[in-house]
Amino acid sequence: MSRIPKIAYISIAALLLAGCSSTASNEVVLVTHDSAVISKSQIASFEASSGLELTVVKAGDAGALTNKLILTKDDPIGDVVYGIDNTFIGKAEDNGVLVAESVREIDFADVCFNYDLSWFKSRGIEAPTKWTELTLPKYKGLTVLQNPNTSSTGLGFLVATVAKFGEGKWGTYWKALKANGVKVTAGWEDAYYTEFSGSAGKGSYPIVLSYSSSPADEANTKAILTDCFRQTEYAAVLNGAKNPYHGRQLIEWLRDLEFQNSMATSMYVYPLNPDAVVPDSWATKAPAATSVLGANLQISERRESWLKSWSKLFG
Amino acid sequence: MAKRLAWAIPLLFVGALFYWPLATILGRGFTQEWLHDIFDPKTLDVLWFTVWQAAVSTVVCLLLGVPGAYVLYRRKFRGQRVLRALITVPFMLPTIVVATAFSSFHNWNTTSVFWIIVAHVFINYSLAVRTIGSQWAGLDSSIEEAAELAGAGRLRSFFSVALPQLRGSFISAAATVFLYCATSYGIILMVGGGLINSLETDIANSAIGLLDLPRTSALALLQTLLSVAAFTVSLKWGGREFDIDGGGDAKRSGLDRRDISSVALTAVVILGLLLVPIVSIFWRAFDSPSGVFYYFTKFNSLGFRDLLNVSIAQAAANSLRNMLLAACIAMVIGVLIAWLTAHSKSTKLTKALDLALLMPLGISTVVLGLGYLITFSTPFLPIRDSWLAVPLIQSVIAVPLVMRIVRPAITSISKAQLESAATDGAGGWKIWRLIEFPLIRKSVVTATAFACLISIGEFGAASLLAFGEQATLPTVLYSLISRPGGDNYGMAMAVSALLMVFTFVAVLVVSLETPRRRQRVQSASA
Repeated sequence: MSRIPKIAYISIAALLLAGCSSTASNEVVLVTHDSAVISKSQIASFEASSGLELTVVKAGDAGALTNKLILTKDDPIGDVVYGIDNTFIGKAEDNGVLVAESVREIDFADVCFNYDLSWFKSRGIEAPTKWTELTLPKYKGLTVLQNPNTSSTGLGFLVATVAKFGEGKWGTYWKALKANGVKVTAGWEDAYYTEFSGSAGKGSYPIVLSYSSSPADEANTKAILTDCFRQTEYAAVLNGAKNPYHGRQLIEWLRDLEFQNSMATSMYVYPLNPDAVVPDSWATKAPAATSVLGANLQISERRESWLKSWSKLFG
Repeated sequence: MAKRLAWAIPLLFVGALFYWPLATILGRGFTQEWLHDIFDPKTLDVLWFTVWQAAVSTVVCLLLGVPGAYVLYRRKFRGQRVLRALITVPFMLPTIVVATAFSSFHNWNTTSVFWIIVAHVFINYSLAVRTIGSQWAGLDSSIEEAAELAGAGRLRSFFSVALPQLRGSFISAAATVFLYCATSYGIILMVGGGLINSLETDIANSAIGLLDLPRTSALALLQTLLSVAAFTVSLKWGGREFDIDGGGDAKRSGLDRRDISSVALTAVVILGLLLVPIVSIFWRAFDSPSGVFYYFTKFNSLGFRDLLNVSIAQAAANSLRNMLLAACIAMVIGVLIAWLTAHSKSTKLTKALDLALLMPLGISTVVLGLGYLITFSTPFLPIRDSWLAVPLIQSVIAVPLVMRIVRPAITSISKAQLESAATDGAGGWKIWRLIEFPLIRKSVVTATAFACLISIGEFGAASLLAFGEQATLPTVLYSLISRPGGDNYGMAMAVSALLMVFTFVAVLVVSLETPRRRQRVQSASA
């Protein structure tokens, strides 16, 4: 046994010491989903005004985030959660993950189809005006959308179809979509950045399931603003949090104008603080949906049964 | 007595860090729904898919592996050692890198099952070649030659002479490849694009996606039974243990004209199947309008729209730290188990222990990660909360492999040497240090490399347990590749390229460590 084991012992000892270094007591941990953007300067500004130390932990997409919180509720992985939306909030509440009176609305986004303006113009084909038209032969093989099992936009649209056609009847529409060559990706990014012809990826599908705000960044695209699904995102203190008091402070900050005014440009969502503003250009390029569907459904209770039926159609 | 005490260490280790969390997650699901979940048609569909894709992958691996084993182990030519090392790279690569390579090739809706199987063959080809080849290399070639002199063709002499003798390694290879394909996670998740589920991905989906613990545990139980079945086949009817040295003692002749079809097929496999994905990753890693090394300069950033919790550089530091710890633990425990089992009489008890200690190899790290998430979330044992959880799981799954690599070397040490040393008055520790360890050095190096690569590439457990700033290279890579906006895709390719280089270096280190020293020591002591 020459030098190698000695080095190993020393490094293990060093690592163990490093691992045991204590965490600051004024640390507040914000758990959120992978698409949330909280910039370094915003974190610094919160820390300066509150005297706290803010750690942001991204824990997967909205669904994985919720379920990880439920699985670890005996010893939560943070103090505050931000980004659980209306399709998952019921599940989180039913499982006792959230401190009920701390739940606040932070922002919303509308899940709508987008299309590539120049693609339709150059071919002289009329662009769709509502998503029920996507089953028409002239739009065969043109649409890419997301798997509702793995993507929140995919789930949002599934809910919209349930709301539009009714329980037990929406399957017919999805069968027609499938027959019309719709492409299904696992996540929104795959669909928007890789498959959609109107974005940087220059894919081959001119119609994509995205957000009403997506055209803010892609000049030659447009959203179909009717019958969209509205995702509202919430923040709440976690039950059993180590630092609930400062957690509330953090939620107030998420509702403050500094953060709310930045959301449109950083995350492409609309702030819910009535005093907050979005860029002027959004009024024409990226307005909110004109009509939304599905707000009245019991999404948390029905989701799994919808997903099972959907997976039977597409599995 | 001391030996019995020594047994307690590995048993406690595997018991506490493997069987306890496994029992917790399986036990959590024992409700009334559980039986219903097992016989649910959807569960059976998933089971069926898992079995048939693994079976097809195994058959393809064996079919391609036979000519490969023949060319690379039965014949002899210049550069053979390098080629043997080269083909093991895909097997050692992090699966998430392999998945990255193959998910960029295909069209989601139509051919993903096809690409899953191709990826599995890519990974396991060398396992089949090596397992069959190392036995083949040691076979006496005179009967084959006699058969050929009597007019039998290569193919016929293979079927009538070599094949019956290779039965053991065939079964070993089949069982092991099947096991790896049946428990593969990253490949099915990424190449299948969330639309195709095997037991493994469905376990993760049921737990994290649907929070359906009864179903999770029902699936985990099926997965466990499948692994036990594969192990039993391998232990009962299989040939020798995993042998990294690859025999080669028998006289081997060079290639001749009649080998042309095997050589051609093997060349096509190595070039097409093995090199194309590797080259395509490198191509994409360096192919940027902003300069060749542009994506590599992004290793300090958090990706497009601050996607990551930590930069790639920090994730690399985490991965290296985990690797160091996991490999150290796995080596200590693994070598200890190897030594103990090699020095114990073979009884029913030791055979049962052998299987029990082997099990971590066949259990998905996803299941184990979930087990940790549930078992160690209490304030009493807050392992989940610390960074230790991930390297501990990695060491648990590396232990059986270390044991299987090191044990044949320990068993092969001649008893006479040890006894003469003992007569000369050397104690157990001294014998180990002066005689046994130098003799098994090569296998220890190999096992260390394996343990390191298992840790670096491990994805299932890390995806559940490496929260926040504890992200590892594979979890960062997965985040980047599943959110391909901005520079993320290129960064993912650059990370993959680096991991490939790392793997290649590790494989090279192992293959450069020739068994020369072993011969010298033996001849000196003779």
